[in-house]
Amino acid sequence: MKTEKKQSKIGRAILWIVLIIVAVIQIFPLVWLIDFSLASSNEMFTSGLLIIPKKIQWGNYIKAFIDGHFLLYLKNSILINSLAVLLVVVISIMAAFACRRMEWKLSGFVKTLLLVGMMIPIHATLLPNYKIYNTIGLTDTIWALLIPYVAFSLPQALFLMTGFIAALPVELEEAAVVDGCGIYRIVFLIITPLLKPSISTVAIMTFLNNWNEFMMASTYLSSPKWKTLPFSVLEFTGQYSSNYAVQFAVMALTAAPAVIVYILLNKHITKGVAMGAVKG
Amino acid sequence: MRKKLLVGILAVCMTATLLSGCKGKETKTEDASVSATQQEQTEAEKVEDTAEPITLTVFSNLPDRKNGQGLVEQKIIDDYMSENPNVTIEVEALDEEAYKTKFKAYAMNGMPDVVSIWGQPSFLDEVLEAGILEPLNEADYADYGFVSGSLEGFKKDGKLYGLPRNTDVMGFYYNQKMFEDNGWEVPKNYDELLVLGKKIKEAGIVPVAMDGGDGWPLAIYLTDLLVRVDGNIKDIVSNAIATGDFTDPSIVEATKLLAKTAQSGLFQVGYDSQDYGTAMNLFTNGQAAMFYMGSWEASMALNEDISEEVRNNIRAFTMPPITDGKGAQTDIAAWNGGGYAVAAQSEQKEEAIKFLNYMYQPDKLSKYGWENGVGMSAQDQSAYMTGNETNLQNQFTDILNNATSVSGTPINDCGPSVFKTAMESEIQSVCNGTKSVDDFLSVIGETCK
Repeated sequence: MKTEKKQSKIGRAILWIVLIIVAVIQIFPLVWLIDFSLASSNEMFTSGLLIIPKKIQWGNYIKAFIDGHFLLYLKNSILINSLAVLLVVVISIMAAFACRRMEWKLSGFVKTLLLVGMMIPIHATLLPNYKIYNTIGLTDTIWALLIPYVAFSLPQALFLMTGFIAALPVELEEAAVVDGCGIYRIVFLIITPLLKPSISTVAIMTFLNNWNEFMMASTYLSSPKWKTLPFSVLEFTGQYSSNYAVQFAVMALTAAPAVIVYILLNKHITKGVAMGAVKG
Repeated sequence: MRKKLLVGILAVCMTATLLSGCKGKETKTEDASVSATQQEQTEAEKVEDTAEPITLTVFSNLPDRKNGQGLVEQKIIDDYMSENPNVTIEVEALDEEAYKTKFKAYAMNGMPDVVSIWGQPSFLDEVLEAGILEPLNEADYADYGFVSGSLEGFKKDGKLYGLPRNTDVMGFYYNQKMFEDNGWEVPKNYDELLVLGKKIKEAGIVPVAMDGGDGWPLAIYLTDLLVRVDGNIKDIVSNAIATGDFTDPSIVEATKLLAKTAQSGLFQVGYDSQDYGTAMNLFTNGQAAMFYMGSWEASMALNEDISEEVRNNIRAFTMPPITDGKGAQTDIAAWNGGGYAVAAQSEQKEEAIKFLNYMYQPDKLSKYGWENGVGMSAQDQSAYMTGNETNLQNQFTDILNNATSVSGTPINDCGPSVFKTAMESEIQSVCNGTKSVDDFLSVIGETCK
């Protein structure tokens, strides 16, 4: 008895130590980001891991706000990302239902076709898309970002949703039909509430992927009107060397909303990924 | 039941209207920007007495508009707009990598009116083949005081396609006070430099801070050594790139010397993974005695973030000659890299060229650039010497004025873009010894074939 107790104590201690190490590794980058964003550019190159700034440089944040057009870009980022998330969720639920639950000739083929989209690298589509957008006059509009963001997030979302829908009991829908339920009500009132964990997974993945996207944004946009947050970092990039301290401040500000979203939805994401994966 | 279905459909409809609302607004603004010229033309017809409003678009590789060269560019644009109230200039700026990607996109259609370009084959050849730049009339620029030879990189088949912004000279910055305190002397030849490197290292200081992570400073170092080995390198380099054969004895010797230098420990530990800012800060913090970089960093002497003791003691010298080499210390590694051009399909070509010429008015790029210490322009700027120049600025002016020959475009920018990429990534391997000199030369040769 005694040794058993001792062993479990040791096991617990080891578990704690491991967990603490993992937590530190996870949290350190954020601490580092905030630490460096408060130092001056010159202090940045000392050999220490973290800097103790001689004077806390709040000016970095002020510069990031004003010279980095932070508020405008934040507004654009939030608008574009929320619309993208909304569209991806709605389309992926409907598509997953159509491909998984409805019986029609090409349902398997269409699903595969949509999933193949996962294999297309963004860079390969960059110039052709630019050409298309330019021809139909979409460059430098919100659509130039919204369309590719939705298109590139959709395959992954569909993949998760189909896996999840397959796990739901068909009897539920049958019961609904018996009670006189139409197709729209089945999808939006019966299925959707049950998909909550996978909806939050899809939402968070779409959000995080597109939040940091820069390559497409820099190619399809030219005026500041719809520029997103990653452009803010660019405002402090010099020809040869950059104002690193202010860039750190911009990055801390950019990361904040993403971190907040993650913390809010964190509970659901792990659940969603695991359930979708096992039952897909 | 019905009600709920209705609610659902209504919700979808509302979302759709919301989205189409966005769309409507967007298309409107899009139309506004696309047909800006048309609208402006009709407006101008209405109001006959004012000059026709014009919107020029400038595509720049200088995203930081508050410091350095970007500030100079923005200042000139602001000047131009205040002198010509009918002209609005819209700037789009991206950093170099994103700039080049987007440049390709623009090349397909809809090039902005005035663009930044590089007068180097690795960039310009492909661009000129596509015919997207407007040829300029060279005779117009006879009295702009361009330094002789500076326009060469921007020409093809005798036609001029762009104008250079800067003259860049490569050299070693050194901390004079540190040298004096330790009894070190500026090396007179390359062997002395290596010996000095050992001495400095023994004193616990980094001899030369090198930005090896980027690849291009090492490639310029190689160019610099090649000049020391063989005086005039233009023929050798263009020959090697045309045939893909880099076995010319001078190139082999210079590359061997570079590898030997790097392995002798002249550069800081981990130089091949450290970037520009890290290398520069080693020097400005007094942890390194020298820093190999271009004349554009002469503004270090004016930078108040750098401690006064270092700032006031920065001096420079060019690559010392090597034994039995044909090049002297006055044969310098210098070139005219960046510049501006006008797009061939620009709808306001006349205004664009007028603006281009305005930038090159002697009291614009040259004067502002000199005052802000961003380096030397490609034009004669002796008129703007105030007598208050830093010692460092004067040194670089002297180096340029006393040069017996200039290297022209550094070797990495002489070939096609694949060559540039290969050169800049492989040169680290040859420096740290993971690749032999012969392998390195054959790999970069392959990319030219």
